[in-house]
Amino acid sequence: MKAAGLAIALLLLAGAAPAQQVKWNFDKLAARASDTVDVSLSGSLLRLATKFLSDDDKDEAKVKKLVGGLKGIYVKSFEFKKPGEYSAADVESFRAPLHAPDWERVVGVHSSEDGETVEVYIKNEGKGIGGLAIIASEPKQLTLVNIVGAIDLDSLSELGGHLGIPEVDVDKKK
Amino acid sequence: MASLEDELRSALRRREPSPDFTERVLARVSAAPARRAPQPWVRWLAAIAAALLLAAGGLEYRHYRGERAKDQVLVAVRIAGSKLNKAQKKVQMLTHRSTS
Repeated sequence: MKAAGLAIALLLLAGAAPAQQVKWNFDKLAARASDTVDVSLSGSLLRLATKFLSDDDKDEAKVKKLVGGLKGIYVKSFEFKKPGEYSAADVESFRAPLHAPDWERVVGVHSSEDGETVEVYIKNEGKGIGGLAIIASEPKQLTLVNIVGAIDLDSLSELGGHLGIPEVDVDKKK
Repeated sequence: MASLEDELRSALRRREPSPDFTERVLARVSAAPARRAPQPWVRWLAAIAAALLLAAGGLEYRHYRGERAKDQVLVAVRIAGSKLNKAQKKVQMLTHRSTS
């Protein structure tokens, strides 16, 4: 009886547990990469960072608003000296934890011209988005972004044109 | 030879101190300045100075961590934004092609 009660309590706790960072193993890729960008910000560090983001600076204020409610941001970007230094299996290992029903792939685009693929996954949590994952592969670069928490995709895309990100407006290019 | 021994014996002979010897020693001891414990305010000052140093160090470290975290946030948002932007760009291009 006690064991059953404990099991129920554990199940309830698991259900109530906050969104977690998805775990990947990057050791093999890191060994092959010529450059690596590694950003690992837990909730407490994010809260500290937001205190240092200015309200007066327009861009920083937007970033502050965007990351204010997040529980973590994790970015790994590997750059390789020449194409073919990572395999399809490496990319597949990035996809592996992002499976249904928790995760849903919302965008997947591939360009045969530049050999670039971008996949966007969102984590469904209750009423809204509980997290975001982006896998971007280029011939000499492999990037994984994992944002934990309710991210506003509109705000993130609004940052196009800011922080050195080129603004996208196809219609203007006509 | 015997005279040398006599001289040594005489020199090393036990002599009683003068009757006021003890008094003089005690008088000197009491006259010597006593080594006093530091005043309480000196202790307090040292404690406050140590606490201030620790607090300043802690604040400086927190500031360093905050600035570093801020830079990391900006890098992360820049990378995430640019990748999302690329996906958005491709989707917009495809949508534009299919509608025109």
